[in-house]
Amino acid sequence: MKYETVIGLEVHVELATKSKIFCSCSAHSYGAEPNAHVCPACCGMPGMLPVVNKRVVDYGMKAGMMLNCHINRTTTFDKKSYYYPDLPAAYQTTQWFAPVAVNGLVEIETSKGKKSIRIKQIHMEEDAGKLVHDIREDTTHVDFNRTSVPLIEIVSQPDLSSAEEVEAYLDRLKNLLRYAKVAECEMAHGTMRCDVNLSVRPEGSDKLGVRTEMKNMNSIEAIKRAIEYETARHIDAIEHNTEVLVQETRRWDDIKGKSFAMRSKETAGDYRYFPDPNVMPVVIDDEWFNSIKASLPEFPEVKRARYINEIGLSEYDADQLIKSIAICECFESAYAECGSAKDSANWLLSECMNILNSRQMSYDMLDVDGKALGKLIKLVSEGKVGRANGKKILADMFDNRDIDPETYAKENGYIVSNDTSLIEKVAKEAIASNPRAVNDFKSGKEKAIMALFGACMKQLKGNCDPNTLKEILIAEINKI
Amino acid sequence: MDREILRRLELLNQLRLTEEEKQTFLEFFNSKKSNLEALDNAVNTQNVERMVHVMPVMTVVREDVVKQPFSRDDLQRSAPETDEGYWCVPRVVE
Ligand SMILES: [Zn+2]
Repeated sequence: MKYETVIGLEVHVELATKSKIFCSCSAHSYGAEPNAHVCPACCGMPGMLPVVNKRVVDYGMKAGMMLNCHINRTTTFDKKSYYYPDLPAAYQTTQWFAPVAVNGLVEIETSKGKKSIRIKQIHMEEDAGKLVHDIREDTTHVDFNRTSVPLIEIVSQPDLSSAEEVEAYLDRLKNLLRYAKVAECEMAHGTMRCDVNLSVRPEGSDKLGVRTEMKNMNSIEAIKRAIEYETARHIDAIEHNTEVLVQETRRWDDIKGKSFAMRSKETAGDYRYFPDPNVMPVVIDDEWFNSIKASLPEFPEVKRARYINEIGLSEYDADQLIKSIAICECFESAYAECGSAKDSANWLLSECMNILNSRQMSYDMLDVDGKALGKLIKLVSEGKVGRANGKKILADMFDNRDIDPETYAKENGYIVSNDTSLIEKVAKEAIASNPRAVNDFKSGKEKAIMALFGACMKQLKGNCDPNTLKEILIAEINKI
Repeated sequence: MDREILRRLELLNQLRLTEEEKQTFLEFFNSKKSNLEALDNAVNTQNVERMVHVMPVMTVVREDVVKQPFSRDDLQRSAPETDEGYWCVPRVVE
């Protein structure tokens, strides 16, 4: 029998705010001392009252709009009870009854074409703290720096049916949320986390099978492996009665490549949601709603069409650029500065990509000043700086955003020389020390001149117009 | 309210009740249950919007500004045990 996999995702995304969701502690604790960013509110002291961070609601709304959701204009917070030391108040403040955004739609594209994935809801909530078990054998150490860091949870309907679709969906979420600048969405940094709800049923059936939830996947690759493993486990159980499937939460072990049922104590979940009496409803008036609506970015597809139809880029270039808002922004300011869309796209998609790849950085990590890139492109296209030296300057610009390419080129001797007497001198020297290349060239092997050309360029540190150099070389050879 | 529900509540609230306490709780909840049923039968709540708060109020929001008025040492002064800036709790994994 043929089976199909039915997958729904719960994606947690850390919002890029400065402070926490209900208190003024810093939301950024990378590299901080344990419990450096805590206060009585976020470490759960009795009697403390939460005060909602406006930007969290801004970003929640914005995320909802990016995913075509309906925004609940009165949105409320609820308490979700569970006991674990990473949750000092013994409840998480989250949204259950009236989440900020509901009923959205996200379009994805895979090798099988386009597909729409329905979003059930997006809710705002606080993150939990971190537990450290390996400092001492007798206790668990608790760090509340992450407690109350704002998250949104994006809950999809069970509309996904393969690992490929899940990857496309996560990429799409990341892309849209980064365009809106509400979140980093980097799984490796923990700013995007994903739980997978999966069941299997005979192809074409409209009845859902037994559903399991998988947690603890730390990369897209791990998610794909987990989906493949879990699908096979379900089919095996159905076909060969290898085990009885039960609705449960399972933990993915990426090293063993297997999922394991979590102990029932951990999953005794009955969260007893109830309205949090400490947080009044958040009412989003027209002015607030419209200001967020007006702040939405140009969507990737709109950008793509504009790049092709108005700026004249190829479809391929446009497709590559819109993958990342960081690339788009750099492209747009480089283009505004140098006036050539084609050159700007080329420098970004080849030279910048090469540097990113060599440093094992993703598209989104591009951090080059677009205006400076535009100036550099102009210097190279006007022949003031050689292309090879232009690339060197670009690599340095990756390390230092403040570099002004022209000043930098002058200071480091990257300006093309118009001093023909110097070029002639260098050409003569090259000819004198490469008699074989000269003979080859004279006997009709035109490519032989490249050896001389390379030697001269090296001597001139690349600061020479290639055409001028070529002309001088040929003239000097002909004199012999 | 039966013993199964009580057992579940015990688990969810991390309590361990004595037989005597169990009896007291069962009697208490069952007497309250009839009060609730009386209310449920007397008032029709169909088409009544969910009440979030008794007062028709909305929350005030704050700007996204970082402040750190408390020191870790102040907060950890009442802790039974701390270690290198961490709070220490009974071990939760094996
Ligand atoms: Zn705090």
